[in-house]
Amino acid sequence: MAYPYRHEKEVRLLSEHFGDLEARTVEGWKARGGYEGLARALEIGRERVVEEVKTSGLRGRGGAGFPTGLKWSFMPKDQTRPHYLLCNADESEPGTFKDRELIRWTPHQLLEGCLIGAYAIGASHCYIYLRGEFFEATQVLARALEDAYDANLAGKDVLGSGVDLDVTLHVGAGAYICGEETGLMNSLEGRRGEPRIKPPFPAAVGAFGMPTTINNVETLCAVPGIVKNGGDWYRQWGTEKSPGTKLFCVSGHVNKPGNYELPLGFPLMELIEDVCGGVRDGNALKAVIPGGSSVPIMTAEECSACSLDYEGVVECGSMLGCASVIVMDETADIVKQVRRMAYFYAHESCGQCTPCREGTAWATKILERIEDGRGTEEDLDTLLQIGDQMTGTTICVLSDSLAAPVRSSIEKFRDEYLALIRRGERVGAA
Amino acid sequence: MSDAPFKNPGWAGNTGEFDLTEADVRGTEFVGHRPPEGGHPAAAPSYPYMLADKAPDAPLFEGPYKERLEKIRGRYPNARAVLLPALNLAQEIRGHVSPETMDAVAEELGLASAYVRGVATFYTMYNKRPVGRHLIQVCTNISCNLCGADEVLAAFLEHTGTEMGETSADGNFTVVEAECLAACGFPTCVQINSRYFENVNEADVPQILDRLKSEEGEG
Ligand SMILES: Cc1cc2nc3c(=O)[nH]c(=O)nc-3n(C[C@H](O)[C@H](O)[C@H](O)COP(=O)(O)O)c2cc1C
Ligand code: SF4
Repeated sequence: MAYPYRHEKEVRLLSEHFGDLEARTVEGWKARGGYEGLARALEIGRERVVEEVKTSGLRGRGGAGFPTGLKWSFMPKDQTRPHYLLCNADESEPGTFKDRELIRWTPHQLLEGCLIGAYAIGASHCYIYLRGEFFEATQVLARALEDAYDANLAGKDVLGSGVDLDVTLHVGAGAYICGEETGLMNSLEGRRGEPRIKPPFPAAVGAFGMPTTINNVETLCAVPGIVKNGGDWYRQWGTEKSPGTKLFCVSGHVNKPGNYELPLGFPLMELIEDVCGGVRDGNALKAVIPGGSSVPIMTAEECSACSLDYEGVVECGSMLGCASVIVMDETADIVKQVRRMAYFYAHESCGQCTPCREGTAWATKILERIEDGRGTEEDLDTLLQIGDQMTGTTICVLSDSLAAPVRSSIEKFRDEYLALIRRGERVGAA
Repeated sequence: MSDAPFKNPGWAGNTGEFDLTEADVRGTEFVGHRPPEGGHPAAAPSYPYMLADKAPDAPLFEGPYKERLEKIRGRYPNARAVLLPALNLAQEIRGHVSPETMDAVAEELGLASAYVRGVATFYTMYNKRPVGRHLIQVCTNISCNLCGADEVLAAFLEHTGTEMGETSADGNFTVVEAECLAACGFPTCVQINSRYFENVNEADVPQILDRLKSEEGEG
């Protein structure tokens, strides 16, 4: 078996060639229908490319779910200044591990998406910002990019179209906050990766002060198929408001964790029970974090009727985020895991905003105290209060991202906190 | 990796059901040798900068490295944007980024020393002081943590005989805790220099350390 994460319910538009070594070469990628989207884009012109992507209803896969075609249409039409496309390959949201797979198995899929995206927004240069830790995947992408230049798929006069499209790989140096779009721009420019106040929005003033669009790896990987087959084709999967397929990164206490590509709207319990082979050791499900560590935690009951599309998860009390499904069984220690998340956000806060810098640090200290059995019931109120002060008050949403799991876990798993506070009892071991 | 029935496309010594080789998974054969002067300029800023062999006093930006730096410069609209790639290159050569190295980078790019220090210290992957030949970074964030990462970290500390962040007496190992490495489905994920080791259990640790010791100049 070449790639072990397979299930018959998958619809593999992006992940079909994972584990398929020939897909890494230009020839192999072409033989699998690759670079036809780029050729078609250059043929139909940039406005129609944007229209096709709008029609498809593709939404950003980096977490916010903003419609990609619409984002592209915000770019100024005049070409008096350079435009930039940035590809966000900084993947570091705890629970998320799809972009690295896309890069290392299908580097040309990403490059084709970047080339089409750059063309569509009138950019002649795309920077791919890769998180520093991705050395191995980056080497694969580097080789693929050199091959793409050799084959005139990138560089001057791409495929004889008269259009110049450059792609440069830019490697970060370890900072979660560089995944935030304006933090990424500052980092690319050689600054501390501190997010910028918006407005101005990147489409007006972005990287190097120029009009800029930023998209996630998975978003750009979906573009070649859409341009090649048309926007309507993509809508045959998913729901009306969340069309297409999505890579679901499942981790934690399931028998078969991994990346599974499914149509949006897929039932959460079917993902856990069927696609991922159920909760490990036949244990009972306790909780799920459906979208990466920044979204509210869900109880097993909330999961039961949840469908995995942007709207469906909101209805069940959380958010789809980047579809990073973290599964916790009955052995999970919620307080410990929330404390670990708090530590992460405190470590990664860039420190510009007081509610975030102080809030993440204090939340961590209080949670550590509770975990050590030295907490009080008032501490829970203090945590909720800190959470309120951290929400909607800062430059970027890293601050809100800790408030969400803290608040939701206290509301939904208060008993576990109280067991520790009143009796020093830990509920779980993991 | 020892008794887990289901294997991942990462690499922790054997891949079980997964029938590709380690070189296939890592892509090392496909990538081949990357020349120190940089191949195509588009990819010149993308070399690994955590290597086992370190030369803390080596000159920066000379010979092939100078050539690579020039290629990198050509990809950005200003000198400031070359800062991260230049610091990466400096760490690739010297193994860590000391204040002297920061000053040298500042001079090369025409930036203020204080500015370069401000930026370099923002990023965790720049080693501000020397580390062992193998920097072992164990993810203990939520997905790995749910699956026993704390025990894996403890095992690395025990078997290297080190305290967190300290280097072993033979200079081989430095063990630290890491934040999410984006390999959450393959817990525990451990980054060792430029490579990921995935699906690592406590019991795998001695074998991984033996392998590292037996590899010459591996990055
Ligand atoms: C703290 C923080 C971290 C983020 N990290 C990432 C990341 O690692 N990768 C990513 O694609 N988007 C990340 N985002 C979202 C980006 O800001 C941005 O919305 C996204 O890259 C846009 O691309 P999309 O429209 O294709 O989703 C992060 C946002 C925040 C607030
Ligand atoms: S919210 Fe936190 S991470 Fe975001 S800009 Fe403010 S201090 Fe920095």
